[in-house]
Amino acid sequence: MRPIVLGAALMAAAPLAAQQVVTSSGPARVAVTIYRAPDRGAADAINPAWLGGYALISEEREVAIPAGDATIRFEGVAAGMLAETALVEGLGAGVSEKNLDAELLSPRNLYARAFGRPVTLRRTDAKGHTREEPAIIRSAPDGAAIVQTKAGFEIANCGGLKDAIAYEGLPEGLNARPTLSIATHAASAQKARVRLTYLAWGFDWQAHYVVKLAPGAQAAEMTAWVTLANGDTTGFAQAQAAVVGGKPKFEESREEPEEAQDLVLHCRLSPVPPPLNEAAPVFAPPAPVAMMADIMVTGSKRMMAPPVVVKEEVLGDLRLYRVPMPTNVTAHSQKQVALMAARRVKLGLIHRADVDVGAEDGESQQARIRLRMANRKADGLGLALPAGGVAVVQQVGAAALPVGEGAMEDKAVGETANVEIGTSPQVRLESRTRRINDRVEMITATARNANRWPVHFESQQLLPDGARVISASAKLGRQDGHPLWAVTIPAGGKVSLSYRLQLPR
Amino acid sequence: MMKRRAANWAPLLLGAMTYASGAYAAPVNAQGQVAITIYNNDLALVQDVRQLDLPKGRALTDFADVSAQIRPETVTIAAPGAAVVEQNFDYDLLSPERLVDKGVGQPVTIIRTNRATGVETTERGTILANNNGTLVQIGNRIEVLGDMDARLVFDQLPEGLKARPTLSVTLDAAQGGRRPVTLSYLSRGFSWKADYVAMFDEKAGKLDVQGWVTLNNTSGTTYPAAKLLLVAGAVGDGGGGDGAEQPRFRPTRPAGIVGTQAAAREQVGDFYLYPIANPTTLAQAQQKQVSFLDVKGASATKSYWYRNAWAATSDEAQSFASVINFSNAREGGLGDALPAGTVRVYTRDASGAPQFVGEDNIGHTPMGSTLALKTGEAFDVKIQPTVEKREKIDGAEWERVAQYRITRDGKAETVSVDAPKAYWRTHMAYRLTNARAVPVTVEVVQAGLDRGWHDTRVSAESAKGEMRNADERVWKITIPAQGSVNLTAQIDARY
Repeated sequence: MRPIVLGAALMAAAPLAAQQVVTSSGPARVAVTIYRAPDRGAADAINPAWLGGYALISEEREVAIPAGDATIRFEGVAAGMLAETALVEGLGAGVSEKNLDAELLSPRNLYARAFGRPVTLRRTDAKGHTREEPAIIRSAPDGAAIVQTKAGFEIANCGGLKDAIAYEGLPEGLNARPTLSIATHAASAQKARVRLTYLAWGFDWQAHYVVKLAPGAQAAEMTAWVTLANGDTTGFAQAQAAVVGGKPKFEESREEPEEAQDLVLHCRLSPVPPPLNEAAPVFAPPAPVAMMADIMVTGSKRMMAPPVVVKEEVLGDLRLYRVPMPTNVTAHSQKQVALMAARRVKLGLIHRADVDVGAEDGESQQARIRLRMANRKADGLGLALPAGGVAVVQQVGAAALPVGEGAMEDKAVGETANVEIGTSPQVRLESRTRRINDRVEMITATARNANRWPVHFESQQLLPDGARVISASAKLGRQDGHPLWAVTIPAGGKVSLSYRLQLPR
Repeated sequence: MMKRRAANWAPLLLGAMTYASGAYAAPVNAQGQVAITIYNNDLALVQDVRQLDLPKGRALTDFADVSAQIRPETVTIAAPGAAVVEQNFDYDLLSPERLVDKGVGQPVTIIRTNRATGVETTERGTILANNNGTLVQIGNRIEVLGDMDARLVFDQLPEGLKARPTLSVTLDAAQGGRRPVTLSYLSRGFSWKADYVAMFDEKAGKLDVQGWVTLNNTSGTTYPAAKLLLVAGAVGDGGGGDGAEQPRFRPTRPAGIVGTQAAAREQVGDFYLYPIANPTTLAQAQQKQVSFLDVKGASATKSYWYRNAWAATSDEAQSFASVINFSNAREGGLGDALPAGTVRVYTRDASGAPQFVGEDNIGHTPMGSTLALKTGEAFDVKIQPTVEKREKIDGAEWERVAQYRITRDGKAETVSVDAPKAYWRTHMAYRLTNARAVPVTVEVVQAGLDRGWHDTRVSAESAKGEMRNADERVWKITIPAQGSVNLTAQIDARY
């Protein structure tokens, strides 16, 4: 016998029980501030199927509050709302309690609520004839339906009949979506402009930097974009949108919404193992990943000067980047706005390979390529740069070809960013260690450049604890507590370094 | 146990006619006056006083609408003038399989449908067996139900199968009559915690705090108009229940000071009670919030904190943690004990709208405590620790590190063991930067100084530090606006 799943379409609409319930259907004004997924690294892309970030949503609503005790229901809030963060301001009388009703209207919940109640059984036989018959539900939805009909007690959907259940109305307390309601008590009826503020899951944003580079150049054209994504089923029209840079602490774990279990009427009569002594909780399988329909990317003219650039603002120890005009933050979509307009930026392109004394010898290693940018006005920057991906492109003919990709952490003004964008097969380093005696070693390192232009090369000398460099063939600087060999390798040339190492006793 | 016979059908049908006209009437709930005491650790005591009409002598009473997550071993029943004979918690649930199983050997009606004509024929028969297929006997024939295009209709539901887990109690009453029967039990599926909304004004140094109690009911049952009492504590979890995560090793967060003032609240044992004034409906799958604290203008300060593990170099600058410090003392503070929960901090942006700037969890906090909330990492205040140099300090000094006393043939003898005393000197440099428009004071913690020798020394430092304990040295440094400070320290240790 084929199980059927009862559709909610069978339900007749019915009024809710009369009570002082005021429904606010939607906000008059809304602001959405999006925060990055707390555990997503600077280099990791947004996962559009499961947005791990969150948003602060702040709505203004016109509500007519009746005199006496009343319940105000807020509709059209984000489905990912964290109800414990909800804050309602602007009610003169104050809020005595807030409720989030999460018991959802589903075939199974409807069946459970109809226990012991009369329903209509629509029975279709093998010939396709349909007849309706009154019945009373006698079992809970676990397992399958057992109903009482005129004939006696029988199992729905058994013995050649296909049964559908039609209910007489909607029970109280079941909602189509999780719904926030507040209880108010007002002395007299009044119209209020209420501000509702809450955090909600299912948002994310990411910064992307694009650096257009000429080989060997000391400056580049840089643009940056903010991509913001809304994975919620609720969209926000004409919203004041902003994103927050920095790392606020946010430790909520995103809980799966309580999965509405299916109601399956099956007719399997063979014995099943007797129930366990402990009524073990039944875990629902994980929710299917929400499909992201209609991913909409705006701002396609990426390399042209964009008309709109987000406005930076200090927010305590964080940074707020505000989209300067109202915008639609549509459900299941992402959107791009410029973080900064194209500008010329001074930067250094450095090839880097370290000498790890004591590690394996003689092997040639590829240099890693780093972008070095000082975040200051003099070099064309000097603004708080939020963490994000960095793409390096090079103009070849008409196309800007990607030549490297990396990521950058949050960079405050005055900091220097080192962004590793890839490894170079053209620039290599070899090093050798020769033992002179118990306490002295001789190190030689050779760096080669096969490019048709000179490169800046840096190499940290990672020494054993307590070791000292004596008589180096080139002047060594210091970086991160290590001796640093910084040199320019000519086009198609090589440079060498040698020094003695005094080891501790 | 009530037997539901087919003969009972007529009044039910009549009932159906009246129902059919409109929505459901309010669901009939068997609960009486319910009081629920909720603890922090998924535990609640439910007390349910029901007015029951008990017959004289022994009788079985079903208690419907108890929590679906009841712990049946904790049920107690008090009925004046009646004694409890036995209590049963039935979880043998009614399902098609169990219905047929229990129906083996029973007469049933078999309705057979002719596939070609759709005509139904009704016969009486008996279920013979239900083992991987159902066998029925009709007269002298034995057939397999699955091959028959037939369905079974039972005259009655078998005894002992319940639609949902049910508590049933056999009571022996000396006199018949109506009386209050108190049912109390422990249940899972309830929890509560505190949620605080803190509006922080850094310039004014003020903090407005609203406290909300957040209740969750996932017990599977709705309790209309229940009296609620919340206990700020966890019982029976063997300690460690102050509501906040316990650090596994040393505290890796800025520390507060625990207070000793008593709040003006009722206590049970060592726990504070938070009663909720009016009877409240606690619906299944509902999260409910009730206000319990609203304080405006408590003083609060911002500070910065960073803890470096031993000898760690970062090739990139690390953010200081932003910390908000305030007190819940009577004077200048929030003036109440704080139940465990989450504090979410908001700050107004340039347009005056509140924006979320981070959150932190607190444990149950007695009144008079100083709290340090770590709300996130500062964008503009950073530190880059570097191990500049490590060198061995050679010395001719030797030290007796161990001395044993051995008694041999009744004669005590002392054995000394000498080991070379070797120190490593580590030169640490910390580059502190502040891109903010105001000077900030930061707290730098260098940890990992104590590894069991207890003799690590800081032999030189660029600013005066202080040993907070054997493991941690703390420097308080002011970094000028848009400036930087280099802090250096020379640490002599055995490793």
